[in-house]
Amino acid sequence: MSILDKINNLDRRWIYLLAWVFVLFPLLNPLGLPIPISQDARTWYDYVENEINDGDVVLFTPMYGVSGMPELFPMTVATMKHLMTKDVQIIVVSFWTEGPLVFNTLLTQVDPTDYGYVYGEDWIRLGYVPGSETAMGSFGANIHNTVTADYVEGRSLSSFPIMENVRTGEDIDVIVSFETGTPGTSEWMRQFNAPFGTPQITGCIGVSVSGMIPYLQSGQLQALMPGLTVSAEYEILLDKPGLAVAGVDAVSTSHVYVTLLVILGNIAYFMTKEED
Amino acid sequence: MVDITIWVGVFFTLAIYSILYRENPWFRIAESCYLGVAVGYAVGQDLKYIRDQWGGQWSSSGGMMLLFAIVMIIGLLWYGRFNKNLFYLYRWPLAIVVGTGIGAALRTVIFSQFLAQITSQANTPFFVAGDMMATINNILVQIMVPSVLLYFWFTGEIRESAPMKVVEKIARYTMMAGFGSAYGYTVLTRYSLFIGRSQFLLGIPPNPADARTAFYVIAFIMLATMIGYDMFMKKETPEE
Repeated sequence: MSILDKINNLDRRWIYLLAWVFVLFPLLNPLGLPIPISQDARTWYDYVENEINDGDVVLFTPMYGVSGMPELFPMTVATMKHLMTKDVQIIVVSFWTEGPLVFNTLLTQVDPTDYGYVYGEDWIRLGYVPGSETAMGSFGANIHNTVTADYVEGRSLSSFPIMENVRTGEDIDVIVSFETGTPGTSEWMRQFNAPFGTPQITGCIGVSVSGMIPYLQSGQLQALMPGLTVSAEYEILLDKPGLAVAGVDAVSTSHVYVTLLVILGNIAYFMTKEED
Repeated sequence: MVDITIWVGVFFTLAIYSILYRENPWFRIAESCYLGVAVGYAVGQDLKYIRDQWGGQWSSSGGMMLLFAIVMIIGLLWYGRFNKNLFYLYRWPLAIVVGTGIGAALRTVIFSQFLAQITSQANTPFFVAGDMMATINNILVQIMVPSVLLYFWFTGEIRESAPMKVVEKIARYTMMAGFGSAYGYTVLTRYSLFIGRSQFLLGIPPNPADARTAFYVIAFIMLATMIGYDMFMKKETPEE
């Protein structure tokens, strides 16, 4: 058996083992590869910094579960920290079951009191709302009926100062959504952007990027943060390096590895095909 | 003091990854536990929502209570699915969910996902003064989008004409570029997930440092049991 045949019939476990090596090595020994700032990261930073004004009501929505955390959690944390440097009102809600779980984890890294945020006055958690897109439509039509109690204290929304003047989708100034799929941006577009004209910025996993670009080009989305690498760039812009920056070396090495595999696989395939 | 939750997290992460070696009991334990916990969590969240709704508005008057009871009964009809004789009852809540879902989406889909895209395409200028890359990008958009739309036009003799063959070729290249881009982003996502868990396993801050010890110990035990079992079975099986 030639070496090319051996490559074609390589036990997949060797490929997995090498994948571990290519990921773990740069995590244990950071390479310090340069991280150029892309336009996506800059647009996101500029939007949060300049377009979201003091006093704005921000709907902050972690629309993903624990499986999406490795890619989306760093940008969720960084954006929350950025928002809390401003004097905005933050309403946290999720239409994904595990959204509250993700936000619980976020609170272990971001303490709102450190930023002078008071629960019920400057920010509030509404928890998880079941019903997917229908629930999002209902939420836009009447927030107080769709969510009758907050997530932390179980009290009526009317009893919180932050919710006094926030009753429908019209009262939301901007949506900041992080998502892995459905419901996500398409549903926000249909239930909020179209009826209320609510501006939105979205952080998404790489798989979803192709589907998001049309919304960005049409101006329905104001900014898009696609995946972990742009997250790292945003952390650098914020001057708060976190998990994304720590992982970006491994992203580079893993992509080099995949590229090598694709090249090697093609060479082996075509050369053995010629031999046949 | 050892934080048992960290060890549990590391165990389940490695147990799920152990499928990369082969199907094994560690993986099956983790898979079953995950399914059970995820379903339990989802049911808990749903019940909390129902409880809050009852306390918030539905218990406020007799009429509201009656409506709440009707809604709950319709919800219970879902369980007709588990009985052949009552299966037809399951179609009622299904019809309501599908009907309301489609209705809610169709209400605005024409604006958000059709007209807005067409308007954006029509407003894309061919030339952007002082920005060569934007100009090239816009020209490509203006050529590629109509080409792909025409690619899916399947009727009429014009479909077989020479200009349409050119359009088809452009469309195929466009779609291939799109699929390639989607594949690249998919690799990014998959590796990002792996990197995120690896950061946890290695205890890279803000992950707990104890995770690294747990990683080494549990990975050694899992590998030893799986490889040891395979070697033992190989020894037991007589060579032909």
